[in-house]
Amino acid sequence: MSTDTETPTYTKSALEFKSTSFSVPILIIFNAELVQLEHQIEQKIAQAPEFFKNSPIFIDLQTCNHQQQKVDLSALIKCLQNKKLFPIGICGGNKQQNKLALKLNIPSHTIRENSATTIDASLKLNTIDIEKSDKNSSSEITPSVENMLITQPIRSGQRVYAKGDLTILSHVSAGAEVMAEGNIHVYGTLRGRALAGVQGNIDSRIFCSKLHAELVSIDGHYKINGEIDKEISSNPAQIYLQDQKLIIKNL
Amino acid sequence: MARIIVVTSGKGGVGKTTTSAAIAMGLAKKGHKTAVIDFDVGLRNLDLIMGCERRVIYDLINVINGEASLRQALIKDKRCNQLFILPASQTRDKDALTKEGIGKILEELAKDFKYIVCDSPAGIERGANLAMYFADDAFVVTNPEIASVRDSDRMLGILASKSRRSENDEEAIKEYLLLTRYSPKRVKIGEMLSVEDVQDILSLHLLGVIPESKSVLNASNSGTPVILNEESNAGQAYADVVARYLGEDKPHRFIDEEKKGLFRKIFGSK
Amino acid sequence: MSLLDYFRSSKPSSASLAKERLQILVAHERVSRNQPSYIPKLQQELLTVIQKYVNVGQDAISINYEQDDNQEMLELNITLPDESEQNN
Repeated sequence: MSTDTETPTYTKSALEFKSTSFSVPILIIFNAELVQLEHQIEQKIAQAPEFFKNSPIFIDLQTCNHQQQKVDLSALIKCLQNKKLFPIGICGGNKQQNKLALKLNIPSHTIRENSATTIDASLKLNTIDIEKSDKNSSSEITPSVENMLITQPIRSGQRVYAKGDLTILSHVSAGAEVMAEGNIHVYGTLRGRALAGVQGNIDSRIFCSKLHAELVSIDGHYKINGEIDKEISSNPAQIYLQDQKLIIKNL
Repeated sequence: MARIIVVTSGKGGVGKTTTSAAIAMGLAKKGHKTAVIDFDVGLRNLDLIMGCERRVIYDLINVINGEASLRQALIKDKRCNQLFILPASQTRDKDALTKEGIGKILEELAKDFKYIVCDSPAGIERGANLAMYFADDAFVVTNPEIASVRDSDRMLGILASKSRRSENDEEAIKEYLLLTRYSPKRVKIGEMLSVEDVQDILSLHLLGVIPESKSVLNASNSGTPVILNEESNAGQAYADVVARYLGEDKPHRFIDEEKKGLFRKIFGSK
Repeated sequence: MSLLDYFRSSKPSSASLAKERLQILVAHERVSRNQPSYIPKLQQELLTVIQKYVNVGQDAISINYEQDDNQEMLELNITLPDESEQNN
């Protein structure tokens, strides 16, 4: 009986959590005037009724809040729902708005970093703009450039999240967790967990000088401690995805 | 300017209080006016290790609540007039500690003292968090043992994020490693993590290695900080630690097994 | 065990010293644990009242609480300063 090679029991489980990303239209609010908002939403829907019908929608309040305009969030959500649009989240909201959204079963996110690129002066004349995302182009996932550099060790219990690449000049302790939307570089020993490409970037990789990780993952494909080849451990290694399979190789 | 030192570890029983007592006494003996504060409210022990348990009248909580003045609560050490002890309360619980209260006490102490040593309780609850919150320097006491090393690492993470310095974006707390209960003999036969092993995991500036020693238990039994036992290895090791902290260049000792002479082999050593 | 230890058996061991210290301490703490919790406050307030009339120090008052099988006793001791000191 070769129990050693048997696949672990967790593969038989009924479900699996994975991280993925897809395009959702984002509604950027520039103005708190509800009547005006409603009117312009109607106009936009009239242009492409099929596209908007029963579509999920994300509300970006950042610009509006920046201008100190207080939009009535619950009225706005109700208005959208009446028009067969389904708000699935807000971002750039203040504390009060986030609390209110949560009450309405709508999650709130922190500031959407690429929204700044769409706010240009000309758009301010239009009080509202609906960003239509092309559902076919995966390039819509804008690669962010917010790289992060850390010179200190990442200690047990600490978590680090980078919007871009994450470079750590020291080690990552067991019990620590580092996550990046891009690549992860660890110039010390990686003992904790490292998750690269967490927003669906399948080309991201993990590099480290020594691999004693508890878990490594790229775009949700992961391997845990026991599955990592012992021979690789003490030499510089890289981890990447190839045909949906996680490859761990020495550099 | 007073320096506030926190002696911390996360794990219990690794030698925080022994270390606090030793370094406070060591700093005081070098002529620096030093206060040592017990933050373990409800389970005070520093008074026992310092041998002043029968002189405790008021405690830290009394001062926080305004039931006594700081001057009334500070116990002057009988062996060194530069050393003062502020005991914890044995009867109250840790909820009596407040950030404002501790802040005020430390501010007042800082006017008069050169060093303030905060003896942290084990764990990562209020007492431990407050002991480290105002610190300038942290002595992380670690045993060469797997659970202790992991807890120290966790504590270092908390030190980096939950302190006054980190909240005010000031220069980070200076962290030092103190490896206690070290047995070169057991390291040699592979039973115990070595200094290098621990350093590899924690990457921290090593302030000193305190060897496992009978003199530590004897010191607590009699209420004398072990640093006062100048003949013992542990006492000398703590003296080195204090000297290094104050900037003296002392080579590390007690890391390798000491070769015993024939005479000492027969008659044993202290 | 060192050979020399045989020659200094008369010296009290540190363990027995520790035991002695603990006995005193634990007995004392047991007593104070059974005390009503208002005693420190009572002491403070009494002191404030007395200080209004007499110039006494912070440690002028001592309160002792004792409990027998059928009675509780609160002993209050106030040390007044010497007449000469008071007039200064």
